[in-house]
Amino acid sequence: MVDMGRILIVDDTLFMRTLLKNILFSGGHDIVGEAGDGDEAIAKYQELKPDLVTMDVVMPKVNGIEALKGIRAIDPNAKVVMCTAVGQEQMVKLAIKTGAKGYIVKPFQAPKVLEEIKNVLGS
Amino acid sequence: MAVVPVKIEKNGKWVVGKIDLQQDGMTILEPLKAAIPYKSVIDLVEKKNLLIITAKGDPPTTYKIASVEKVLQAMKRFIAMSCSAYRLMAYFMSPAVRGGVLVTNATWEKGAIAVLKSTIWFVSQNKQVSIALKEVTSMELTKKEVQKNQVDVLKLDHMENSDVVTSYVLCPLSTLQILINFLKDATKDLEVTGEELDPLSAQVGMLIYSGMDSHAIENMLNIPHKNLDEIYDRLLKLGLAEVVLVRREVQLTPKGVRFITEAVKPPSQ
Repeated sequence: MVDMGRILIVDDTLFMRTLLKNILFSGGHDIVGEAGDGDEAIAKYQELKPDLVTMDVVMPKVNGIEALKGIRAIDPNAKVVMCTAVGQEQMVKLAIKTGAKGYIVKPFQAPKVLEEIKNVLGS
Repeated sequence: MAVVPVKIEKNGKWVVGKIDLQQDGMTILEPLKAAIPYKSVIDLVEKKNLLIITAKGDPPTTYKIASVEKVLQAMKRFIAMSCSAYRLMAYFMSPAVRGGVLVTNATWEKGAIAVLKSTIWFVSQNKQVSIALKEVTSMELTKKEVQKNQVDVLKLDHMENSDVVTSYVLCPLSTLQILINFLKDATKDLEVTGEELDPLSAQVGMLIYSGMDSHAIENMLNIPHKNLDEIYDRLLKLGLAEVVLVRREVQLTPKGVRFITEAVKPPSQ
């Protein structure tokens, strides 16, 4: 069972990336990279081969669902945890159908995020 | 129907006793010798392995009862289904989201919702969930996909052991509207008034929500302690936050400096 992982954070806002980085770092994870949109996420996934990706759903240019498809085309076993704002829960089904392994709704609480990441890393 | 072992609070002390649970009421056999018809119960509050039952009267009588989960579960189900409360048959899903994380194995439970004086109870054959009204943080009517149809549901956000939890209620729209109106009225003290937070204060609020401490917030937002303190004052004044810990910063006295200097010297041979 893998507890700690090399993680790529994808979110178009610096604030959310920094928050997730802090939470994941406090849980002992290694943040290997950050991306601000879906295109960058796919490129960084290919380059860095992280153990897990946290992926914002609503982003400019290529959104999180499209980026998830792109990443799964490179690696069908990719572990991607989707992250979206409250009120966009209708995206959950679509994301899970597309292959997301977990789902986080903003705002979130650090201990629960770490629990979810641990579960997905161990799955 | 069944006599079960419990602990009951009597005059501020916990004493071992027994309760006879029947279909329409329960009798505390010892040490209180009190009969409590379920329909006389006006409030039922759950705290860890403890139930606080308030029965009507002048003044109302409160009983604190502790027992094992199996016994409490039976009591909760009997009382919530028969007590003096606004009750409706509904489907509920609780928790659906916990701390921002989707509960992937959450399912709809068929049961009843009982709205009591200070608590809402979701009760099904296998599950009883209580939500204190003062812990309800938001509620809204929204749509959710159920068996490939978009249906109206009540989305309820509430605190549960310091986690923020989302639950859903599914029943006819007219009943949902009655429920939401009641909940809005019962939780009007928690309504956020017109005061708006500036973006930086809102970001601080979000970081507190996520569990960041002052040091992490200062580093993340790159703001000095004094500014963060001012923002905390604003949040406190608006009733949006409460003080849980006051941390001190100290500096060493000359005696302290001498102590540390001595302490780091290598041991003499």
